[in-house]
Amino acid sequence: MYRIRFHGRGGQGMKTASRILSNAFFLGGYEVQDAPRYGAERRGAPIFAYVRAAKQPINERGIINRPDLVIVADDSLVAIPAAGVLQGIGPQTVLMINSHEAARTWEERLNVPGQVLILPVTEEVEDRAELPFLGTTCAGAAARLIGIIPLEHLQQAIRDELAHLGTEIVEKNLQQAAEAYELAAEYAGKVIEGTEISAQDYAKPEWIDMPFEVASISAPTIHTGLTSELAATGTWRTMRPVIDYQLCNRCWWVCSEFCPDGAITVDDEGYPQIDLDQCKGCMICVAQCPPHAIEAVAESVAQLAEATEATEATEAVGDKS
Amino acid sequence: MTETAFRRMKDLPSTRLLGTGTPMCAGCGGLLALHEIYDILGEKTVFINAAGCMTLLSVYPFTPFRGSWLYTSMASAPAGAQGVRDALDILLEQKRISADEDLQTVVLTGDGSAYGMGLSATSGAIDRNLDFLYICYDNEGYGNTGQQFSEATPHAAKTSTSSGPRGFPGFKKDLFDIWAANRPAYVATVIGTEPLDLARKIEKAKNMKGPRLIIALAPCPTGWDYDPKETVEIGKLAVKTGVWPLKEYIDGKVVHTKIPRQRKPVEEYLQKQGRFAHLFKPERNEKLLAEIQQRIDVYWEGISNE
Ligand SMILES: Cc1ncc(C[n+]2csc(CCOP(=O)(O)OP(=O)(O)O)c2C)c(N)n1
Ligand code: SF4
Ligand SMILES: [Mg+2]
Repeated sequence: MYRIRFHGRGGQGMKTASRILSNAFFLGGYEVQDAPRYGAERRGAPIFAYVRAAKQPINERGIINRPDLVIVADDSLVAIPAAGVLQGIGPQTVLMINSHEAARTWEERLNVPGQVLILPVTEEVEDRAELPFLGTTCAGAAARLIGIIPLEHLQQAIRDELAHLGTEIVEKNLQQAAEAYELAAEYAGKVIEGTEISAQDYAKPEWIDMPFEVASISAPTIHTGLTSELAATGTWRTMRPVIDYQLCNRCWWVCSEFCPDGAITVDDEGYPQIDLDQCKGCMICVAQCPPHAIEAVAESVAQLAEATEATEATEAVGDKS
Repeated sequence: MTETAFRRMKDLPSTRLLGTGTPMCAGCGGLLALHEIYDILGEKTVFINAAGCMTLLSVYPFTPFRGSWLYTSMASAPAGAQGVRDALDILLEQKRISADEDLQTVVLTGDGSAYGMGLSATSGAIDRNLDFLYICYDNEGYGNTGQQFSEATPHAAKTSTSSGPRGFPGFKKDLFDIWAANRPAYVATVIGTEPLDLARKIEKAKNMKGPRLIIALAPCPTGWDYDPKETVEIGKLAVKTGVWPLKEYIDGKVVHTKIPRQRKPVEEYLQKQGRFAHLFKPERNEKLLAEIQQRIDVYWEGISNE
């Protein structure tokens, strides 16, 4: 059985990718299963979708824990534990990351047992959330890596899935998928069909006994306010607002008032402070700041800059001692 | 007219009472209005919330509120508010809580509930002169389930259930007038992108008794199909083009609180949203555009600074 997981952000088309891939499998006579996995999160939040395909009836259910192929549409997700990108990667697993960085870099950084491949980002866009057709690109690459899916089936699956969007969009998607299919040619068939997992190998979770509490304790009642602040919605962000305090004229209210999430507060001196753990990256503050003191920086660039700064700081300390 | 504490922008509160970390979409115009409203209403509130996007605000174990929140089905938030109000009144009467501990009963629903499914329960609550504040965030569709059209969807808008070349064939229902016809204590339209106008209206509503309604137009990047960073721009255009009249019903009269001096052509508002893209592409639908413009012009005829 083939087990494939697509990781991306809400809005990047991972659900579409999983539907296209499973449909393409189906056209080749496979039994298939596909499902997206997301909670109450929205655009930008880490999500994944998975596909199972086999020549026999599929009895396995639920999330894929031992993937044969993992496709990552957005490399900024790899570092987010909650996104679960690296979960269950074994020596057989092929991990394909949409990234500007080299496979070697990722191999060294992650130290995973499987093979790392790079899906070169087809267009130079700063904001990954804006990458159109990422879903079909991922499905196209996956189909070729798996090796047994002919291009016609992939194309038919795309037509079926996207017909309602009109011919212009379907054509563009077909072209994107074909390009990705071609790009992955070098690694055609790299993905090896995983073995059946027998029920005997199933490790029971370690159950914990929960005493039966009275309803006043056990009911899902929230007894304290503001707990939402524990949810790190900052992981949704692909672009980061960065304030140039030289330019900020301390009007204090524009960015802070218009931030829908209330993630911008103003300090005693009237300077706005952005809570990056919570900022979802809508960029309203960037659009509204009267003196244009807030800039949108790609999250990956901002993180790299932070890491470099931290290293330099440590080195500077080292020099002194 | 009562004195307002909000004469200029700098008078707006900066407390940010509503917690961060909610699952609302990035750039949600409904959340924008809610955080502004909450800063003025304060902590002594209990929210009764009908199914919709904002139900997700309080998903166990998370809540962005400082006080209580209760979930009801789509059609029955005002009925839920009746129960809560009654309970508070009984507690007050029996002196089990002090007047100081009393709470403002606030219904919070989307347009799907407010304009449609919940209207019957609303009507009953107004008839019983229930002391409550109804806040409707109007994103002009069933946002939470993928933007199907609602009774608040504007003419010609594309939704997932009106995707033909002319979009939604119906017209946006006039909830303001429906409420006003019932002679409640207060009705007002607001939008998060006009925070001063919003603050003054919430301040008034907060200090009144009886049924009160606030309808907040809620630009919705997901349902209206635009880049989240445009939320404020689109909201401002809704006011400047006259699409969203800011007004209030008070003491039996309707007063417009912000009359756009030189109304911008409605196209400027429509063009920014994917849900109206079919009015411009593959070619301009001049007839439909003119119809939409004309309806706005007719509305504003004869309305001047009172
Ligand atoms: C009686 C009933 N029908 C359908 C639903 C499913 N449902 C949940 S939220 C929702 C959309 C509500 O729309 P609206 O009130 O405008 O709120 P929004 O989602 O736009 O915030 C629907 C249809 C429901 N909960 N109850
Ligand atoms: S769908 Fe629209 S109204 Fe609902 S949370 Fe998202 S932006 Fe807000
Ligand atoms: Mg709605």
